[in-house]
Amino acid sequence: MADQATIARPYARAAFEYAHAAGELAAWGDCLARASLVVLDERVRPLIGNPHVERAELVTWIGEIADATGATHFGNFLQLLAENARLESLPAISEQYAELRADVENTIDVKVIAAMPLSDQQSTKLVEALTQRLSRTVRLHTEIDPSLIGGAVIRAGDFVVDGSLRGQIERLNNTMAGG
Amino acid sequence: MSIKASEISDLIKQRIEKFESAAEARNVGTIISVTDGICRIHGLADVRYGEMIEFPGNLFGLALNLEQDSVGSVVLGDYKTLREGDTVKTTGRILEVPVGPELLGRVVDALGNPIDGKGPLNASRTAPIERVAPGVIYRKSVSQPVQTGYKAIDSMVPVGRGQRELIIGDRQTGKTALAIDTIINQKTSGIKCIYVAIGQKQSSIANVVRKLEENGAMDHTIIVAASASTPAAMQYLAAYSGVTMGEYFMDNGQDALIIYDDLSKQAVAYRQISLLLKRPPGREAFPGDVFYLHSRLLERSARVNEEYVEMATKGAVKGKTGSLTGLPIIETQAGDVTAFVPTNVISITDGQIFLETDLFNAGIRPAMNAGISVSRVGGAAQTDIIKKLGGGIRLALAQYRELAAFSQFASDLDEATRRQLERGERVTEVMKQKQYAPMSVAEMALSIYSVNSGYMDKVARNKVVDFEAALQSFANASYANELAAINAEPVLKKHEETLKKICDDFAATGSY
Repeated sequence: MADQATIARPYARAAFEYAHAAGELAAWGDCLARASLVVLDERVRPLIGNPHVERAELVTWIGEIADATGATHFGNFLQLLAENARLESLPAISEQYAELRADVENTIDVKVIAAMPLSDQQSTKLVEALTQRLSRTVRLHTEIDPSLIGGAVIRAGDFVVDGSLRGQIERLNNTMAGG
Repeated sequence: MSIKASEISDLIKQRIEKFESAAEARNVGTIISVTDGICRIHGLADVRYGEMIEFPGNLFGLALNLEQDSVGSVVLGDYKTLREGDTVKTTGRILEVPVGPELLGRVVDALGNPIDGKGPLNASRTAPIERVAPGVIYRKSVSQPVQTGYKAIDSMVPVGRGQRELIIGDRQTGKTALAIDTIINQKTSGIKCIYVAIGQKQSSIANVVRKLEENGAMDHTIIVAASASTPAAMQYLAAYSGVTMGEYFMDNGQDALIIYDDLSKQAVAYRQISLLLKRPPGREAFPGDVFYLHSRLLERSARVNEEYVEMATKGAVKGKTGSLTGLPIIETQAGDVTAFVPTNVISITDGQIFLETDLFNAGIRPAMNAGISVSRVGGAAQTDIIKKLGGGIRLALAQYRELAAFSQFASDLDEATRRQLERGERVTEVMKQKQYAPMSVAEMALSIYSVNSGYMDKVARNKVVDFEAALQSFANASYANELAAINAEPVLKKHEETLKKICDDFAATGSY
């Protein structure tokens, strides 16, 4: 949601700067990811903001599950979020934190959805080409989707390269119909 | 036209060959909300302002709001098939419409798609609808007339090629009628016409098409129709599509005329889009840039000089100027010309023609208020004969208005005043004109000459219209060659004797 992103931005930035200064980028990233999962869980949702639930207890409990070892003062961060009633923004915060972290570490997560599993040679070639194109260290995540018929769709953030057969057939269809 | 079977498969083969099967690299986003024709999209990091976005189902939209976390876009078409979560892609193109002579005689929508059922346009080129108006260096001052065929307008508020003349008035005062008559009168002048219908009833648009066809005027006219049932985005864009089509003729050293009917509805459509895009409302709830909406549209109507035409046609057309005359129409409420949008457009255009309900109801049609109507180009865009004769008309009407209050006491007035009053009455009668009855320069000159020189002073006021009609048919029957000569060379000195002769001969017939 656009509004979620706007709300999450100052928190994500603060968490990032703190973790960057303390050299704990990875640890904070993991903690945030785990805490987001907790908050997204169906069973935890009714507890957040519930007046019958002791806020401090909820925060400690989430912190335990998120396992905040290696991330100093993560508990304080959660406490702050709970005080401002922004625990639901944790997923958005985690997302933006990951973007900021990827920026500074010059990495990028690339999702490749292929019709058939890629061979090792194909994967390496792909990583090379993408590293060159995006000038960042590429972390490849692969998925299989047989409905693409052939080829692959490469997704890097907002940037999408559609090299699938299904995409080509769609474009051919549009060209024929539209002239 | 029969198509052979082999031709069809050839066409298909051509299309397949031309198809480039490279993998496409685009920017994508996801729809997060669809409301009233506005889509909010998450993603689309590299989209540019006003860029075309492709929605699923071969729909297109314009990116109009670029915010930090979302993009707001209007959908150009039926948005009922869109769903939250759908993927949208950038296209890297700005909105374009087809332009060229192939559009003449056709009725198209705001995106240039034909809606008259006469088959595809086959336009050879397209042009982006947003363009910066020609600069100061490339313009030439307006010096050629656009003949509307109306005595009242061509004599008192003449319109020149490249001018913007606003037609402003309440509802049902004859604004569209004026515009249509002007189009009909361009049959032989070589001016291509574009009629942009914004927010009109479809029955009205159909009426306009029919009238133009009946009068043989569709061949030199393009109609861009964004009726009231089309989305607000189409109504907003239709005016820009129209001016783009007109600019094609201007850039090629030809003359064109564009009528926006009407800009009030375009402003309302733009207001709707802006409010839905959550832009802050200003005066009368219009967004802050409603002036820019109209100014950038009307500035594109201009007269461009020979250098510009040579540059635009890459040397193909030399030594000719091009022009695009604009006739925007604004509807006022209860004659209030001090409202926001009317005052904006009045300050942009080079003059206005005020049509008033009172005059219309009193039988004076065209219901133009000669006192406050003005053309800032004026005499520079008039033929010599009309310029010399028209000066007397303006004066007579001005004097008549001064004295009109005394008309109840006509019996108590002195001779001079009474004559002025009677002359003014007759001039007013002569200025009346029927719809779909445009007059040539010679016919106009004859009517104005006869009233100026006193040939109608003895005619009863309610018989003046008949007198004029009889004079015209007399002249057309017996003096057709002389009239043609006046049309060919409209200079008063050469033809004053002829005009006097025609009037004298008509008076001699004694029918009045």
